[in-house]
Amino acid sequence: MKITIERGQLLKVLTHVQSVVERRNTIPILSNVKFEAPDGQLSLNATDMDIEIVETVDADVAAPGSTTAPAHTMFDIVRKLPEGAQIELDCTGDDGQLTLTSGRSRFSLTCLPTEDFPVMADGDMPHSFSVSAGDLRTLIDRTRFAISTEETRYYLNGIYLHESERDGVAVLRAVATDGHRLASVELPLPDGAAGMPGVIVPRKTVAELRKLIDETESETGVQVALSDTKIRFTFDGAVLSSKLIDGTFPDYDRVIPAGNDKSMVVDCRTFADAVDRVSAISSEKSRAVKLAVSKGNLVLSANSPENDSATEELPIGYESSDIEIGFNSRYLLDITQQIDGESATFMMADAASPTLVQDPEDTSALYVLMPMRV
Amino acid sequence: MTIRILGPNLINQIAAGEVVERPASAVKELVENSIDADARRIDIVVTDGGRVALSVADDGHGMDAGDLALAVQRHATSKLPGDDLENIHTLGFRGEALPSIGSVARLTVTSRTADADSAWKINVEGGAVSGPEPAAHPPGTRVEVRDLFYATPARLKFLKAPQTERNHVVDAVRRLAMAHPGIAFSLSEGERQILKLPPAQGDLLSARLDRLDAIMGNDFGANALPIEAAREGIKLTGHIGLPTLNRGNAQMQFLFVNGRPVRDKLLQGAVRAAYRDFLAHDRHPLLALFLEIPPQAVDVNSHPAKTEVRFRDPGLVRGLIVGALKHALAEAGHRASTTVGSAALGAMRPADMPRTGFLPRQPAGSGVPPSMAGNTALAGNTALAETAHGFHRPLDQADHGSHVTTPSAPEAAYQADDDGHYPLGAARAQLHETYIVAQTDEGIVIVDQHAAHERLVYEDMKKALAGGGIQRQALLIPEVVELDEAAAERILARTQELTELGLAVEAFGTGAVVVRETPALLGEIDAAGLIRDLADDLAEYDTTLSLESRLADVCSTMACHGSVRAGRRLNAPEMNALLRQMEATPHSGQCNHGRPTYVELRLADIERLFGRR
Repeated sequence: MKITIERGQLLKVLTHVQSVVERRNTIPILSNVKFEAPDGQLSLNATDMDIEIVETVDADVAAPGSTTAPAHTMFDIVRKLPEGAQIELDCTGDDGQLTLTSGRSRFSLTCLPTEDFPVMADGDMPHSFSVSAGDLRTLIDRTRFAISTEETRYYLNGIYLHESERDGVAVLRAVATDGHRLASVELPLPDGAAGMPGVIVPRKTVAELRKLIDETESETGVQVALSDTKIRFTFDGAVLSSKLIDGTFPDYDRVIPAGNDKSMVVDCRTFADAVDRVSAISSEKSRAVKLAVSKGNLVLSANSPENDSATEELPIGYESSDIEIGFNSRYLLDITQQIDGESATFMMADAASPTLVQDPEDTSALYVLMPMRV
Repeated sequence: MTIRILGPNLINQIAAGEVVERPASAVKELVENSIDADARRIDIVVTDGGRVALSVADDGHGMDAGDLALAVQRHATSKLPGDDLENIHTLGFRGEALPSIGSVARLTVTSRTADADSAWKINVEGGAVSGPEPAAHPPGTRVEVRDLFYATPARLKFLKAPQTERNHVVDAVRRLAMAHPGIAFSLSEGERQILKLPPAQGDLLSARLDRLDAIMGNDFGANALPIEAAREGIKLTGHIGLPTLNRGNAQMQFLFVNGRPVRDKLLQGAVRAAYRDFLAHDRHPLLALFLEIPPQAVDVNSHPAKTEVRFRDPGLVRGLIVGALKHALAEAGHRASTTVGSAALGAMRPADMPRTGFLPRQPAGSGVPPSMAGNTALAGNTALAETAHGFHRPLDQADHGSHVTTPSAPEAAYQADDDGHYPLGAARAQLHETYIVAQTDEGIVIVDQHAAHERLVYEDMKKALAGGGIQRQALLIPEVVELDEAAAERILARTQELTELGLAVEAFGTGAVVVRETPALLGEIDAAGLIRDLADDLAEYDTTLSLESRLADVCSTMACHGSVRAGRRLNAPEMNALLRQMEATPHSGQCNHGRPTYVELRLADIERLFGRR
């Protein structure tokens, strides 16, 4: 294999693929990225055996071929080369080395045979549909903050993507929860998604997917194909495949409160800023704030074990009976950050029951938050 | 196969299997007999770890010929006067030891009562009795056991090496000796004297401490805290070691119930609970506790060898032990073990000075601690001290190099301190930006600033946690944890206590609990795992240790991050403030892992280093 490619192009794809590669591997070849150069194109492939990414760029191919080289080292080298540099990759020699030449720099890297590079069997993907990059971004951004990091409940370590319906309209819904709060967002069901199984997309896949979306135009369609065990996202020039979490997502519908009648409307930014300020007092680990809600008025307060305290009042829309309820301030901030509209509605029942939070202008997303006993 | 009644000798051999497991258990039974006979001195001799022969001689009441013949009969004893198994005041009572030993070994008992003019001797070989016949012996009893287990070859095969068996004998004798400081013990093997314990004098507590000291090592006596507590007719006395004196195993933990050495899990659990804050979980304190409990409240008859007992109210006993230990440790305050100080002293070597004399190295004067000049009494020679002071005055910190920070006004600080008595003295210098050197009335104290401050922050946080209650995060999806029925019941019996610790649980059918709220401090946790650990804890030790220690872990991590690190330069007021805080804070003598936060070197020790004593 012998190719020439512009530094910027190579860097862009390397950035994507190297982040899939784990820093430490017990199988050496998993540290490598596979280069394949058929005519006029270079494709890079990296995997951690759970996620696989394949990305293709145009390149000037002098001699077609393939090889594998250490992903993080390659990334580091290319990153440090000057902008606009032309890079030549050559592994035509018989010493098993990949030579990278650019300007006056020359690197020689040890390769591992391409045949040993693991290939993720794609299998049959019976369901496929197209969704715009912008919509996919919304599904991820609105929910990923609530993904659990607790490994024993592995089935919560991802976003639950499934078909559902609301008011008789079929929707594609994404849900994530860590047992303390829950986020749910939905889109009209795309064509072809009907009948798809509910799948849990792992956290790492979500992160990689999000990076790919970042560099894609919002309006561009992303092809999603899935089976019970795998999911594949196809972008322009990049394909991300991933195993799914083999588990049952809990029946989240039951924890979304329907009968909460105490409705509080706050100005989202003002509220978030006030929570942020008041929580400066509460202890580092638990970060509790108390909301004392009365007609038209909200008093936020926090105490620290050292007897420091903070209060802040703000005007709100509230007509029901007074209520006092405690929350983890970090959770409140996470949720208010997801709300783009000017105001947020809190639907509460009592100090021990889940509270529902929504943007009154965009009801496609909803958040459920468990109170804290303070 | 028809059923038949076994012969008496076979019955004795079976019983011997329970009572006499190895030479050590024979020694234990015999020594207990001697103690029950009010002996003042007991001499034990073993040969080949007790496998070949062992003998126990005492100066107790002794027996006459009739008693001797009866004593080797099964279930014959002088010790249950009221035929009341509930009211046992002696160590023995089953009447099994002598016939059991006699059935598996060659046994000779020689005995003389104080008012008899001659002794009697009886022989038992593999269950066959011969005698009694007259013999010569001073008042008291002497029991000789030869060829133990010769009649039960299977048991003989399972005996360990003489070395191992001897260690077991030593252990058994030690335990009994601890409980009876007034009795002289000696244990020898051939010519070699293994143990020689003179009768300890004085009142019970000090006599006992002498005895414990002799058995557990000299460090123990110097670092022991006395324990004295009583509750509902149960009395607990004994001595416990400071946390800084610790071992890698729990072998130096002894519990005695009514003078009887026992091994009980209850002790382990209680000790762990009491020392939890002071020791890493793989370190164990040294202690010996003596429980006096009405015979009716304890069942010693649960095991033939009587090494296990059952308490009627284990919770009460446990509470008493934990409470007394915690109280004693809190009283000890910032006291750290002197072993640490002497170990440090042992590590010191005279400086390897060049022969060319005392030419000061660069930077000039840094060889002499500047604080020496601060106290004229210490220098002994006022004129010299003043001269020395003169040398030091112009030197600022830069001249000392970055390693020594002198408080700006040591004299002033010390003068002010003279009004009150400060156990940790006045800070004199900071070395390597890590250690604070303070001068006390009796010597010097070296403080590890990070360990000390970490402990202070930790104690503060614990206080805040206890005062403010633990915040609980409610769970959106309550977690159902499947347990076995008994475990679930144990958890549910403690719901109140668990809620206070931030964990709200409810019953969920039989054999399951549902977790509704978890401690907010722990963030996202594996609730199911925690509940299972707790159920195990409750079964094993009757405590909620795993939850408490998880909370403590979070606190100590936060304390570690929130405290002054090594490498931070402190000025004089800061150092003195730290010392004063340490004096005011309980448990400040050791860090969370049982390492000392400071060591003390007495002036006498320092003088010894320089050959002045």
